[in-house]
Amino acid sequence: MSRNKQAKRPKLANEGFTGRLRFFVGRALLNIRQNAFVNIVTIGTITLAILIISLFMLVFVNLEGVANDWSKRVQVTAYFEQELAPEELATLKSRVLAIPGTDRVTYVSKEEAFKRFRERLKGQELLLEGITTDVLPSSVEISLKSASRNSDAVAVYVDRLKKVPGVTEVQHGEEWVRRYTTFMNFLRLAGLLLGSFLVLAVIFIVSNTIKLTIYSRKEELEILSLVGATRFFIKAPFLIEGILQGASGAGLALIILTGCYYAFLHNAGNFLSFNPAAAGLAFLPPVYSVGLFVSGVLLGFIGSATSLKRFVSV
Amino acid sequence: MIQLHNVFLSYQKEVTALHGINLHVPRGEFVFLTGPSGAGKSTLLRLLYAALSPTRGQVVIDGQNVTRMTRSQIPYLRRSIGVVFQDFKLLPNRTVLENVAITLEVLGWSKQDINKKVFHILKQMGLEHKINATPLRLSGGEQQRVALARALVNDPKILLADEPTGNLDEENKDLILNIFRDANIRGTTVVVATHDRRLIEHSHKRVVTLEKGKIVEGPDVTQ
Ligand SMILES: Nc1ncnc2c1ncn2[C@@H]1O[C@H](COP(=O)(O)OP(=O)(O)OP(=O)(O)O)[C@@H](O)[C@H]1O
Ligand SMILES: [Mg+2]
Repeated sequence: MSRNKQAKRPKLANEGFTGRLRFFVGRALLNIRQNAFVNIVTIGTITLAILIISLFMLVFVNLEGVANDWSKRVQVTAYFEQELAPEELATLKSRVLAIPGTDRVTYVSKEEAFKRFRERLKGQELLLEGITTDVLPSSVEISLKSASRNSDAVAVYVDRLKKVPGVTEVQHGEEWVRRYTTFMNFLRLAGLLLGSFLVLAVIFIVSNTIKLTIYSRKEELEILSLVGATRFFIKAPFLIEGILQGASGAGLALIILTGCYYAFLHNAGNFLSFNPAAAGLAFLPPVYSVGLFVSGVLLGFIGSATSLKRFVSV
Repeated sequence: MIQLHNVFLSYQKEVTALHGINLHVPRGEFVFLTGPSGAGKSTLLRLLYAALSPTRGQVVIDGQNVTRMTRSQIPYLRRSIGVVFQDFKLLPNRTVLENVAITLEVLGWSKQDINKKVFHILKQMGLEHKINATPLRLSGGEQQRVALARALVNDPKILLADEPTGNLDEENKDLILNIFRDANIRGTTVVVATHDRRLIEHSHKRVVTLEKGKIVEGPDVTQ
């Protein structure tokens, strides 16, 4: 083959990591332009998919928010027989604080308790005639950390609290805690089930869309392979294309979601009287938005990668 | 350059397309592969560019046993082989320039070098004025030459052409035959599968005839 001499070694355009990356990104952009319709379909599918999931999350996050507000009512009250001296009170407080699950401890003196009692009986003060502030015991009101606001944890907590010296009686809204716990368990389970079905459906739809769009270009994949392209060379632009599709789809979905939220959802809470404490529905926390964006990118990337596996044999 | 040792190939269990082929094509030779439709010509070419691997037997190209190659080695083999397919396999939504450039892009050439080289080969093919056309706007003969340009643009060691003169008139056939001859003179080993008896007689080259998956005529027949 000496006669068939190769012309001088040509300059290679895509040498080095950045050179290669630039080449493949350029290729991907060219492909997107040359297959505009197919790309619009894919991006549209991803947008809808992410939008559905993010709406679901928005509802879930708000339900949890409401439930969390309710759970602040989970409160344990410890009563003691006699009025505590300030230093006794301090040791007691620190003992209570040492019990795992304690969030805040508030002291309610006899006077304070009496005042509250009187407020509750507004208009019927006559009933209080002759009653002194001594009647009501002083107490500490303990609010629990959110992880401990369920039946089992409360029961454990109360046991520990009863052992604190000076505490004579402990009260907590047992029935209420039980109902709240059941509701939260139901909410989480329903969310998990619904969420999983949604995610599965979305993955199925998006990956099939991508499969079809790649199928429509299997000629190109075949030719590249026949002229001696390595698998990496064939796949890289398609994978980058998948990432770009995922990113634009997810970005678009988040923009639409934000738009909808500020247009009419942000004060829908009042209307639904979901959450009288907060003014309106909350938006997704930033972590969730970032998570959704990353999921979109992964959806595009993995969808392309698995579809390519079927069409790029060599 | 090309050696086949006792090669069998079955597509499905019942359909055996090649029955014990022994063939040797030395470096720089020009061979016609002929025989009736369904004889196995395309199948044999597919073995050479590793689109198929034999059910039994060995295929050796340029000293390398293709049968033992790993998946990742095959692209490098294909870079030294130019193939003109029976159905051209041109991309309809790319220009002539882009279609031919694919061969060089795969090698990582710079855009500038690619454009220069592609323009040069298209000029040789008499297609320099169609450089920005898409394949569907070309005649059959022009499409054939674009496919040929793509196969030859990197000066391959081997050129494989499957039915390259299918529907062409005499003038176009001569044009194509001359391109093959030029490539062959520059050192490329050429294997052309064709029905076209006239083309074969015209060119005075070695002929290997296949029939029902066996070689029935030519210097390599071993009975
Ligand atoms: N992909 C395939 N799957 C199954 N059988 C095939 C396949 N390709 C070819 N064959 C069979 O293998 C045999 C040889 O086919 P091949 O295409 O090699 O013939 P050929 O000599 O190129 O014919 P032609 O001159 O018509 O192109 C035929 O019997 C054909 O039916
Ligand atoms: Mg054929």
